[in-house]
Amino acid sequence: MERADKRFGFLCSLPILVVLALGFLAPLAVVALYSTMPERVFGLAHFPTFEAFRTLVEQDYYKSLLWSLGMAFVATCALFLLCWPLAYAMAKVFRSFTLAITVLVVMSLFVSENIRLFGWSLTLMKGGLLEGHARAWFGIGFDGLLYNVPVIVFGLVYVYLPFMLFPLAQGIAMIPDDARQAATDLGASRWQVLIEIDLPLAAPGIAVGSLLSFVLAAGALAESKLLGGQAVIVIADEIETAFTYSQNWPLGSALSVVLIAIIGCLVTYGLARVNLDAIIGRNR
Amino acid sequence: MVGSTILKLDGLSKNFGAFQALQNISLEIFEGEFLTIVGPSGSGKTTLIRLLVGMDEPTEGEIRLRGKRIEGTPANKRPTCMVFQSLALFPHKTVGQNIEFPLKIRREPQDRRQERANELLDLLRLPRDYYHKRIAQCSGGEQQRVALARALAFDPEILFFDEPLSALDYRLRKALEKELKDLHERTGKTFVYITHSLEEAMVMSDRIAIMNAGQFEQIATADQIYAKPVSKFVAEFMGEVNLFDIDGSERSGIAASALHSRENLNLGLVDDEFGTLMVRPEFIRQIDGEGNSDFWVFGKLRAEYLLGSRLHYEFECKDGTTLTVEKLREDRLSCVAGDEVLLGWDVENTHLIRSGG
Amino acid sequence: MGASRSAKLALYAYGIVVIAFLYLPLVSVGFASISRARYLTFPIKKYATKWYSSAFASETVMELLAVSLRIALIVAAISMVVGFFGALAFARYNWKHRSLFQKVILLPIFFPQAVLGLSLLIWFNALGIIPDWKTAVVAHLVWIAPIATLIIAIRAYSFDPALEEAARDMGASTWQILREVTLPLLMPGIVSAGLFAFLLSWGNFPLSLFTTGADSTLPEWLYAKVVSGYTPLVPTVGVLSVAGSLMLIAIAFAIFHAVKFASAKSA
Repeated sequence: MERADKRFGFLCSLPILVVLALGFLAPLAVVALYSTMPERVFGLAHFPTFEAFRTLVEQDYYKSLLWSLGMAFVATCALFLLCWPLAYAMAKVFRSFTLAITVLVVMSLFVSENIRLFGWSLTLMKGGLLEGHARAWFGIGFDGLLYNVPVIVFGLVYVYLPFMLFPLAQGIAMIPDDARQAATDLGASRWQVLIEIDLPLAAPGIAVGSLLSFVLAAGALAESKLLGGQAVIVIADEIETAFTYSQNWPLGSALSVVLIAIIGCLVTYGLARVNLDAIIGRNR
Repeated sequence: MVGSTILKLDGLSKNFGAFQALQNISLEIFEGEFLTIVGPSGSGKTTLIRLLVGMDEPTEGEIRLRGKRIEGTPANKRPTCMVFQSLALFPHKTVGQNIEFPLKIRREPQDRRQERANELLDLLRLPRDYYHKRIAQCSGGEQQRVALARALAFDPEILFFDEPLSALDYRLRKALEKELKDLHERTGKTFVYITHSLEEAMVMSDRIAIMNAGQFEQIATADQIYAKPVSKFVAEFMGEVNLFDIDGSERSGIAASALHSRENLNLGLVDDEFGTLMVRPEFIRQIDGEGNSDFWVFGKLRAEYLLGSRLHYEFECKDGTTLTVEKLREDRLSCVAGDEVLLGWDVENTHLIRSGG
Repeated sequence: MGASRSAKLALYAYGIVVIAFLYLPLVSVGFASISRARYLTFPIKKYATKWYSSAFASETVMELLAVSLRIALIVAAISMVVGFFGALAFARYNWKHRSLFQKVILLPIFFPQAVLGLSLLIWFNALGIIPDWKTAVVAHLVWIAPIATLIIAIRAYSFDPALEEAARDMGASTWQILREVTLPLLMPGIVSAGLFAFLLSWGNFPLSLFTTGADSTLPEWLYAKVVSGYTPLVPTVGVLSVAGSLMLIAIAFAIFHAVKFASAKSA
């Protein structure tokens, strides 16, 4: 049976590996190749240079990268704080309400993120749902809440909430109840139980949730375009511009390579420390 | 060694909705004793220990620790602690970090913590280099010792145990029972132990409290409970037993149809009283003729079982009831299955359980 | 030890607030779609359904619906097949590189979709393929097939390998075991994976944006109109897109219950 397991395991992995090889690995390889091409060429048959990377540093493109990473970091921290109590309640306190929340949050994921972000701009704009009604009902008018950096972070928090919430709840569900009870029994306060027991034992869930939110937020595009106006240009925006309007593929590729490298390091480092069987296989 | 009252339960009740898990329980626990609460599953013993440790609050009643009421105090504010059934060792901490946990919570300095952890490793006969071992690398018996060491590091006034040995195999359990009794003597602490295993209770405890349906049936020493149970439940719970229902109004007080006795045997039952006559199987012997003992029955040997050092016999009486007899191997009965023999015992080896009028 | 009563109440309240926060923008879109005014301001003074009639009359909108539907259906079908086998490799069989495979599968999920879409655009270009809705199917698959795999894997974890061994013991061939034991047992997972795949493809925007070429999906069109050239049809089409998802979920639930009812009756 063991040998059959090995053979079938490999065979079953093939279809999806083919999809990923053709749709994921190959495009990344091509992007990596383009990043070493001279500027503004559209073929790969040129002598490799690192011009594009030099432009990236010289023309302040790294600022967009820092903005993206910084906003992603702030959004991830905010998400962790916002989601922890709810994830905890979903894993340990709620009973049937956990299912209700899960279904509702998952359903929100099925609505295109730009429809939801567009909804926020209708809500937050001058004359929008909030300001319009505040003015009409209470006589308090204010400027729209759009087109600044905080509202982009707000958008990131909004869009990526499920990506933090679910792994966190799964991680918290892995904390044995009696470990928490034993700690309390041995004199630990709520805060001490959180620091000594909850956080370390939920670490795999925290790692997966934070990685997902950070990585997706760092490469996000729609939040800054739909809510942020031109407040800051994020890295994904720069990449899009380089590939489309400016027709500078090597520059776009170089920007992508830098972003991918940062993300890749984080994800490989993070995932190497997580036992996926334990997180996904766990049936609560 | 056993001193004044340390913990006093008074009229303790716990309801879960309409279900009464504990009904008006009272109990005094003495300083330095080893008290075991025994009961079948569902008898309320787990509910009780959760109240005693502070993981739940009683619906009614008082818990006094050295005279001070504590029933509303949460677990982390009580000077008692518990060894969990699952042990609840922290999987992300080493053996040493587990043992030191209560000291870390009290913010004791690191060197003092480590010193104490090493003392406890010695006390529990674990090698000192286990300090850096992971919990998952320890065997079941070693994990038991780590859990004990952690609880002792807390230095509790009372140490509670929630069936910590139930998951272990027979031999290891036997060895740890003796170790636990030994540890109790060496530390002089008050131990309160709950279990469903009577064997465990008898080996270790100074006193045993038998629980059934949310109430105590009897609280006494193992010997008293074995020889003089107060109810049929206790008598049956404490091992093999033969019970005969008797009625004081009958001649010589014997109502059971298969049971014969000497005339004018006084069991102390008055006319309108009922009771149950108990005799343990090891006191029954084969006799030559009627009247050679205070009580006798005719029994047909149905089966014989070997229980290690003892033999266990099942006889069928005339009225179809079963009589069990136990003998040491060297006192083997001289009969084979199907034989009808006369079995007898004397009144001093019986115990009368009164059930009122 | 559980949380106190008031703490529990606070947590329930917090849960409701979070859900309200997730759905508030959709409420705005919903109201906007029935506002009569060409230039929307809240509070809405006059309501009308005229934008819905013009949306249904619009050939562009119908074309968008058709393209989105076509992509989502094909992506769902392929994801179910690929995900089924992927899940067996992920959770069921113990093979040499399983742990590496598990991590490789996750990589596309841990990857910004906009950057993935652009990389695919370059790749198709290098291959000489002109992007249209078919290339969008490939793009969606890269992200959605791993998710389908994970969903089926969750089901496969609770699968007792002894069932397959028992079937083999009774003389079933590999193919018979797959058809008679494995597939039926994983079916609930496969169906929900298909549902997820459809819905995620239907609502996807960052991948479609760069890979549909001359074709366009609903979310893509909405984005383009919001960024430049707003029309009052935008909220209306948004609501239509959400309604499409809801309808599918409702149908799925109805079928699920019908199947459950039928099997309960026959049992």
